[in-house]
Amino acid sequence: MLLLLVVIPIVAALLIAFASPALARRIAGASSLLFFALTVACAFVFDWSDGAAFQMPFRLPLGLGDDGAAGVALEFGVDGVAMLLIMLTGLLAPLCVFGSFSSITDRVRTYYAWLLALQAPMVAVFLARDLITFYVAFEFTLVPMYVLISLFGSTNRKHAATKFFLFTFTGSLMTLAGLLYVVWFNATQLPLSGLGAGEWSFNIGVLMEAARQMSATEQAWVLLAMMCGFAVKTPLFPVHTWLPLAHTEAPTAGSVVLAGVLLKLGTYGLYRFVIPFVPVAVAEYAPLIAIISIIGIVYAGLICWVQRDVKKLVAYSSVSHLGFCVLGLFALNSVGSVGSVMYMINHGLSTGALFFCVGMMYERYHTRSLEEVGGLAKKMPVWAFFTVFFTLASVGLPGLNGFVSEIMCLLGAFQSGATWGVGGTPGPLGPWFAAVAATGMIIAAIYLLYMVGRIVFGPLREPEGHEHHGPLPVDLNRREILVLAPLAALCLFLGLYPRPALKALEAPVAHALAGVHEHRATMTANTAGALVLVETPPLGAREEATP
Amino acid sequence: MLEAISPMLTLAAADAGAQEGLRASLLVLVFPLLASIACGLCAVFGVKSKLPAWITVGALAASFVVTLMIWGQAGHNTFIAHGYEWITLAWGDGPGQQLVANLSLYIDSLTLLWMLFVTGLATLIALYASEYMSHDVGPGYCRFFAYFSLFVFSMACLVMGDNLLLLYLGWEGVGLCSYLLIGYFYTKPSAVAAAKKAFIVNRIGDLGLALGIFSVFVTFGTVEFAPLFEMLREGVDGAGAPLAGSWQATWIPVFFMIGAFGKSAQFPLYVWLPDAMEGPTPVSALIHAATMVTAGVYLIARMMPLYLLDGTHFALALVAWGGGITALLAATIGMAQFDIKRIMAYSTVSQLGFMFAGLGVLTSAGAAFHVFTHAFFKATLFLCCGAVMHGFAGQLDLRKLSGVGFMKGWGIVGIAMFIGCLNLAGFPFTAGYFSKDMILAQTFATPGYAMLGWVLLLTAGITAYYTFRVFFRVFVGPKLYEPGDEHHGDDNHSHDHDHAHEDFHPHPPGWAINSVLALLAVLSIAAAATYFINKPDHGWVGSMVHNSTADVTSPHEGTFLGMDPHKAMYYVSAIVGFIGIAIAFMLHYVGRRTSEKANADKLLPAVGPVATWAQGKWYIDELYDAVIRQPLLVLSHVFHIVDKLLVDGLVNLFGRLPTMTARALRPSQNGVLQSYAAGMAAGLVFVLLVVWALL
Repeated sequence: MLLLLVVIPIVAALLIAFASPALARRIAGASSLLFFALTVACAFVFDWSDGAAFQMPFRLPLGLGDDGAAGVALEFGVDGVAMLLIMLTGLLAPLCVFGSFSSITDRVRTYYAWLLALQAPMVAVFLARDLITFYVAFEFTLVPMYVLISLFGSTNRKHAATKFFLFTFTGSLMTLAGLLYVVWFNATQLPLSGLGAGEWSFNIGVLMEAARQMSATEQAWVLLAMMCGFAVKTPLFPVHTWLPLAHTEAPTAGSVVLAGVLLKLGTYGLYRFVIPFVPVAVAEYAPLIAIISIIGIVYAGLICWVQRDVKKLVAYSSVSHLGFCVLGLFALNSVGSVGSVMYMINHGLSTGALFFCVGMMYERYHTRSLEEVGGLAKKMPVWAFFTVFFTLASVGLPGLNGFVSEIMCLLGAFQSGATWGVGGTPGPLGPWFAAVAATGMIIAAIYLLYMVGRIVFGPLREPEGHEHHGPLPVDLNRREILVLAPLAALCLFLGLYPRPALKALEAPVAHALAGVHEHRATMTANTAGALVLVETPPLGAREEATP
Repeated sequence: MLEAISPMLTLAAADAGAQEGLRASLLVLVFPLLASIACGLCAVFGVKSKLPAWITVGALAASFVVTLMIWGQAGHNTFIAHGYEWITLAWGDGPGQQLVANLSLYIDSLTLLWMLFVTGLATLIALYASEYMSHDVGPGYCRFFAYFSLFVFSMACLVMGDNLLLLYLGWEGVGLCSYLLIGYFYTKPSAVAAAKKAFIVNRIGDLGLALGIFSVFVTFGTVEFAPLFEMLREGVDGAGAPLAGSWQATWIPVFFMIGAFGKSAQFPLYVWLPDAMEGPTPVSALIHAATMVTAGVYLIARMMPLYLLDGTHFALALVAWGGGITALLAATIGMAQFDIKRIMAYSTVSQLGFMFAGLGVLTSAGAAFHVFTHAFFKATLFLCCGAVMHGFAGQLDLRKLSGVGFMKGWGIVGIAMFIGCLNLAGFPFTAGYFSKDMILAQTFATPGYAMLGWVLLLTAGITAYYTFRVFFRVFVGPKLYEPGDEHHGDDNHSHDHDHAHEDFHPHPPGWAINSVLALLAVLSIAAAATYFINKPDHGWVGSMVHNSTADVTSPHEGTFLGMDPHKAMYYVSAIVGFIGIAIAFMLHYVGRRTSEKANADKLLPAVGPVATWAQGKWYIDELYDAVIRQPLLVLSHVFHIVDKLLVDGLVNLFGRLPTMTARALRPSQNGVLQSYAAGMAAGLVFVLLVVWALL
């Protein structure tokens, strides 16, 4: 079943490549809907009560190892976190296809073929249980995206595409190096100390167990290597500069996928590899990563405020928003990390939708400049409604999805390491991290309301010489509304009833944090006798302490 | 519909032991929410009638009736009505290892007090708005009432929520509705700017509230009111450790205070409220005078046990002085303004200052009573101003209107305005007089606040002056007017007036506006009567407060010049009020022949530039702009340049080498699918070969 998720987009892409242009759209539409239906089907088959387990396993040995258990394999399996991200990918796929019908009229086949081809590696990243499968999928997302930007982007597209490709590719090579070190360590070093079978295993679960045996120094280096790739992808300050450029130049659907899913590959990598693999280093360097995230929140947020290009503004807002996501993740407690995973989903929905809105405006006015257009609420009330709605979701208005994840990330950071009261958890951060990061909430209001205050509200301004919208109506047509409506409905649903999603995330996140907790427990045990500062008691111990 | 509800309530109450059975109280939230959705649908289906207004009025009235029923059933008990699980996350079984925030209601008499006047006033003001907004029938009308109902829903969440996160939802929700309604005339740049300002300044306050909520969670391990108040009653944190003297006891209340000061427009976060007058007047009356801006008072009253934890009452002193300073500052600005709606806005800021001072000097009953009476008389005042604005094509300048109360068809407006002004000025035996007295007297009765008492007494005098300045100039005197040029900010509706002055005829209010004004005027007077119900408990409002978490013991040590402040204040504040009114009478009524000039102008040279400064609002907006906004903007530009040149420049430098490599490989980048795929496949094979070699 999971294999189908990868195969369907590829088959569809191939079909489109050899179909007539008229047929291409239909195939793209149908296959993306099928793809979405399949993700929903997977979600039904998935046993949500056991979200920490990797379900629906699939393994195809590629014959590169000694036997079935070791060596490279095409290996899939999903836990609760991956399942949610796959559903997000599945949802965005048909929306991107249908959202592109009017904007892409040239080289239709190439466009849809690559757009669909992009789905396969993206979903494979979330599915992968094998390191090589993961890495190949991770890198393969670059190619279709590169093509989409460089062929269908705006004026400066070649430069943007090249920068995007090289920047992220260089980063992920380092990640690969770090991960291969773990493979090597598992195969050659662990047996020396009597642990492990000494196999060249690429199974992520096996490697995770092995990686935790590494010394603190080794873990720190592996952490650094992995951060290179994932931080670029996320992107974190100061390696974010490819993103605004890529977003500005990419076609609408490209931006949507980029913001919606591709950036999540970075945070997913942090969640799947960094935290469980190298808990010792993570516990040590989390404050540093958190500080970088906070700098990103404030720095990128302020930059948003002085943008003149709507798309660039939304792009920088992604940098700022993902700062919250990473901050929550590195709070290393349940609230923060669950909030962080929720953030990945919510940011995909609301920012993806904002890119759609901007794209719909661009298709009508052929400009993204805040100086040339304004007050569109007068002419396009439906568009204005959606734009304001998604902006509010992005601002983190309670009742919409953004709030739940943002407040959880901040609360997670706040309680992480708090030693007073009972609501604190052991962890590396603290109230100051949350307090400074929370200024991002104010900054977000400043720049996002600045944006809607210009393009949606105010007196009507249209670019000079603008007379008609070409084939499109003045306001959104039914197809465009149908693209935005599901996203809006989900934003509202996840804002008002996040309970099922939170429940589903409890177990897998606890599983991912297990290494950190274990490390903390041993630290406490080791230092307890020596009277070195002991953090708040680990989980469970507190129950005995309190009457 | 109502027949369907009442048996549900009766049934629920009959279910003895389980007080939580009063689930029907969730209907208070449901009706406005449904109305909001219905109004939205009206917009979608292009309804071009007053249907949205009737939906809203009906739903809000239903909410009001349900609130009354709950009040009847619940009395002074506290109960929780369970809705559904909203945010729930558990990471252990111990205390403080679950984050639980349900969509459930915590209902005690404080909640009911607030909900009674919120739903009641909202119903009346919606009725008023049905006529006031009639120029915009169509999509704008639907939009207005959708936001209006959504506001009441959010306010209900804020007041009734059983946990701090739901309160926060309501808190930001009312802020959103305020944003949307201030910016209702969205083509007007000033309205858009005012809306943005309101939201952002509120967000600064919200940051304080958020930090307060985080601190509460970490300290107590819960954000739900029921267990929280249980612990606060004992004065312990979640682990059972006493909190007195801890930093939490001192600072958590300060965090909440920051939130309250943002929402309730107190110094230094008050600057958004006067600008908020860009919204339609019914909005100013309901949201920016009667209900939303009192949310800060509610928050502090609700969290009063938290404020009392700290024996030194540090946060309460801040609240008291913050309120006192704001009261005086806003009153001095109000004295010098010419726009009557803005004067009312500054008076709201000032009166809110009184309420906070009341909370700070430990008379939550007085503060709540002032909230209650203020809601009625300030709504009356705003709606009268709105009627004038509506009738005179947007004219709000008190120098361009005179004798409105005596014009044909304006009688009810004139009388309602007079009653409202008497209340605001604290004229003896009006509701405003009793409620203000409770606060003033307590400032002298609580040791250490006599100075604050004098500040507030001075403010009370100024209030009487500026209130009657408006009245004597606009509503009495020679009948003169000059119409405004505004058509409610919308440029394409069918207004039946002509712009030219000579053809202009004032447009007296119709039945909806008049009946609402008459009713509100009566209610403003009737509010005074509640003071005599259950007198020893400081009236009906006092008894409601005493049965809630806002209950405090007011000290009685202090004196007013050696007298019992509670007795002395009846006379003193009356005299102060009289003096203010008399000065206004002398300066703005006696000898005034035109609408433009009055005796007050003769005094202007004597006060020098002070009047200009006060008129310029003490230039606090300009100060904020220079000290906060501009530097931040410069910083943003610097960051942008740094990002472009330095951060990206380094990357580009680093990328020079690979770029050159890429240039060498350019022939292969020909945009043909197959070659890319082939390239990537080759890469994959390469990787696999490396792996193979390693094995």
